[in-house]
Amino acid sequence: MEEREVILSAKDVEVKFRVRDRILTAIRGISLDIYKGETIAIVGESGSGKSVFTKTFTGMLEVNGDITNGTIMFEGKDLTKLKKDKDWEGIRGKRISTVFQDPMTSLNPVRTIGYQISEVIVKHQKKSKAEAKQMAIELMKQVGIVNAENRYDDYPFQYSGGMRQRIVIAIALACRPDILICDEPTTALDVTIQAQILKLIKDLQKEYGFTTVYITHDLGVVANVADRVAVMYAGQIVEIGTAEEVFYKPAHPYTWALLSSLPQLGVKGEDLYAITGTPPSLYDKVIGDAFAPRNPYAMKIDFEEEPPMFKITDTHFAKTWLLDPRAPKAEPPKAIRNLHERLLEITDERGDYHG
Amino acid sequence: MKRYVLGRIIRSVISIMVVTCAVIVLVFMGVPRDRIFRQDQASLQKLASKPDELTNYRYNKWEDIGYLDFQPLSEMCTNSSDDYAACMVPGSDEFNRVVEQYEADGYTITEYETSDLVFASRDYSPLELVWNFLTSFIEIDHPNVIQDADNPDLERRIYIGSDFNGIPAVKCTGCEHEYLIYFDSSFPFIHQNWIQLNFGESYPTFQRRDTLEVISSGQGELVNAPTTFPNGTTGNSTLNLHTCTYKPTASMDRMDLNKFDTNYANCMSNYSSPSMINLSYIFGIAALVLAYLIALPAGIIMAQKKGKWQDKLGIIYVNIMISVPSLAFIFFMKLIGNSFGLPDKFPQLGFQDIRSYILPVIILALLSTASLMIWVRRYMVDQSNADYVKFARAKGLSQSEIFNRHILKNAIIPIVNGIPGQIILCISGSVITESVFAIPGMGKMLPDAIKANNNTMIVTLTFIFTALSIFSLLAGDILLTFVDPRIQLSSKGETR
Ligand SMILES: Nc1ncnc2c1ncn2[C@@H]1O[C@H](COP(=O)(O)OP(=O)(O)OP(=O)(O)O)[C@@H](O)[C@H]1O
Ligand SMILES: [Mg+2]
Repeated sequence: MEEREVILSAKDVEVKFRVRDRILTAIRGISLDIYKGETIAIVGESGSGKSVFTKTFTGMLEVNGDITNGTIMFEGKDLTKLKKDKDWEGIRGKRISTVFQDPMTSLNPVRTIGYQISEVIVKHQKKSKAEAKQMAIELMKQVGIVNAENRYDDYPFQYSGGMRQRIVIAIALACRPDILICDEPTTALDVTIQAQILKLIKDLQKEYGFTTVYITHDLGVVANVADRVAVMYAGQIVEIGTAEEVFYKPAHPYTWALLSSLPQLGVKGEDLYAITGTPPSLYDKVIGDAFAPRNPYAMKIDFEEEPPMFKITDTHFAKTWLLDPRAPKAEPPKAIRNLHERLLEITDERGDYHG
Repeated sequence: MKRYVLGRIIRSVISIMVVTCAVIVLVFMGVPRDRIFRQDQASLQKLASKPDELTNYRYNKWEDIGYLDFQPLSEMCTNSSDDYAACMVPGSDEFNRVVEQYEADGYTITEYETSDLVFASRDYSPLELVWNFLTSFIEIDHPNVIQDADNPDLERRIYIGSDFNGIPAVKCTGCEHEYLIYFDSSFPFIHQNWIQLNFGESYPTFQRRDTLEVISSGQGELVNAPTTFPNGTTGNSTLNLHTCTYKPTASMDRMDLNKFDTNYANCMSNYSSPSMINLSYIFGIAALVLAYLIALPAGIIMAQKKGKWQDKLGIIYVNIMISVPSLAFIFFMKLIGNSFGLPDKFPQLGFQDIRSYILPVIILALLSTASLMIWVRRYMVDQSNADYVKFARAKGLSQSEIFNRHILKNAIIPIVNGIPGQIILCISGSVITESVFAIPGMGKMLPDAIKANNNTMIVTLTFIFTALSIFSLLAGDILLTFVDPRIQLSSKGETR
């Protein structure tokens, strides 16, 4: 992979929440470089910290949360130093935008669609109301709203879920951001609409060249849209690499488990593979490898010492003692060995996934 | 929308009538009928030496109020006998026949104490009570109402004319009222006499007047003002010419003939002070406005400073207001007010003095602030946790932009819808407050009427209070359509 420009660089980021009088560590030291123009997917089971981690890019942590360590460099600024809303002006919603999961509730029910789009244009681009309206209608057309002029003054309840998510995307892209964070943008939508929205984001990305951070549960989506994949577990990135590397040469047993639990990979007549056990409590200090108690390949050292990030290739890293030269050789489970062909089959069925 | 509102109005009217009828049955079946005379001891005393007349008086009153059908022998004989003279002789065949017939019809025949005459009476069943009420409830004025043998040439028509001030009005000749629709300077500026509601006579308090007239006509002193009478003469008069009704030619006196060129000479007077209904409205509306002026900002601040001292202070206030009985609160406030020189009772300074109003309005308003504040706070907090607020933040809007452009408009919706509830609270609050301050309004009238066993008045007030609450609910829903684009009041199958 050629040298690429880093647009956002997180180093040793740690996030803690105060919950009553206890402290919950949601992010336990993540370092991640995001390259300009790429699509990076973040996967991991519920509660692994995907949303919290990306919220730090826009200062959207809830009031009980703080970044307690690390730096996030963006355009020469350390985002962890920005505290007040005023500090974020010009970045949040302008340079870095977010699309959330539920389009049904992301829009204000009692404001018109047009108002909600042009509002950001007026705010960030200092345009007049009339100019903003023109730009908003243009955007609506771009995200595929037919008859945009007439639907400008409609209210969200007059739009379908898919159309609302298109509007949310239009709002997020209204100011031509450098980074678009999509936090499970399609989970609330049905499959055909999901595919349409994914294609829309992809097309827009080609056109505008923004960087996309994609949070999702759907590995099928990942396989289709992502250049790189980061796998998160218990507040850490445990494996990161190009999409091919993570899918076809996964190195971390948690990634193995995640891949084998894909519903699409289920073989008729066999039970779906499910990861046993539960993630560790984030209230307690984790000793050793956080995944060890659920890991059938766990070794003694997994319970004693936290594994470092092992480099597999220039782009592929994993945080597991299995990669230590002293470790016995472990084979990934059968279910994911010929993943390549099987994934191709799946994406063929859902033809839309071919971007 | 129109169809829906019409449907709602019809349903509202039905519910009001159901409630009113239920109260009628309760009051008439539940209150021992002798009780109604408790406040009328003077009349009973006067008749104490004439037991037969006393009996007649009591039965006549019961009949007037609607308890029963009362027929003295003379009426029995007029109604059921061809031989009136024979019928009037107790013991005669015709007499016995008529008595038997009445007994067969379910009447009780009672002998008077002193004379040997008898009378018949029959209590109304609940169904008849309701039926009698409903059939006489609405009176619609029309040009054939007046039947006056002395005035055979009475013109009969409804027309658009102008009143004594030259303002257009719908007038009528041949109707009971001269003015069917007219305008004047008192709220709500347009008035009508076309449709009259009839609840019966007030008794034993405010005797010989219709209950509705008692609570809707002015109070205080008569107001003398220069007036131009219909026949062109001018002079000082207390008469309110808009209220004139037909006076039979036989009873027109010289004074009437000096002023009026038609028979519409039976007029009510102008009074210096508002009627009971208006007085209650004045208090209710003033208190409502004050309550919102206090509670809206307070609730909003509590929500914005959730968990901070402002919020905690507000919650302490709300808790105190909810846990302290309202009567205790009223007396406490009265003490404070008195130390500022505010009067103890409304009549001390009277209608004209602003100080008479201050304390009751403040109390009424404060009584409803607690629930309002806690609701407003909750709506605001709910809304600030909504997803669209999160997205608005992600859009890069500042807190104050989010608050003013997004949260407020959403939170205002339930608040607007809650206004009717507050109106009802103000009404029920006024019952206690008006009594404590001796304010001559509807609120005080209700317990007074109950104490005096003024059945018709109880029914009237129930009707008014029910109508107010039900129509304010409707008004709240209609208001909602203005602030919430998602709501289009419509019945099934109807498009905008
Ligand atoms: N405001 C908060 N207060 C306390 N704990 C929080 C808060 N926000 C997140 N957490 C905790 O941080 C952890 C990570 O949450 P996060 O929302 O990032 O998970 P996620 O990976 O996005 O999960 P999902 O796939 O369900 O969205 C969870 O254990 C969650 O309970
Ligand atoms: Mg999440």
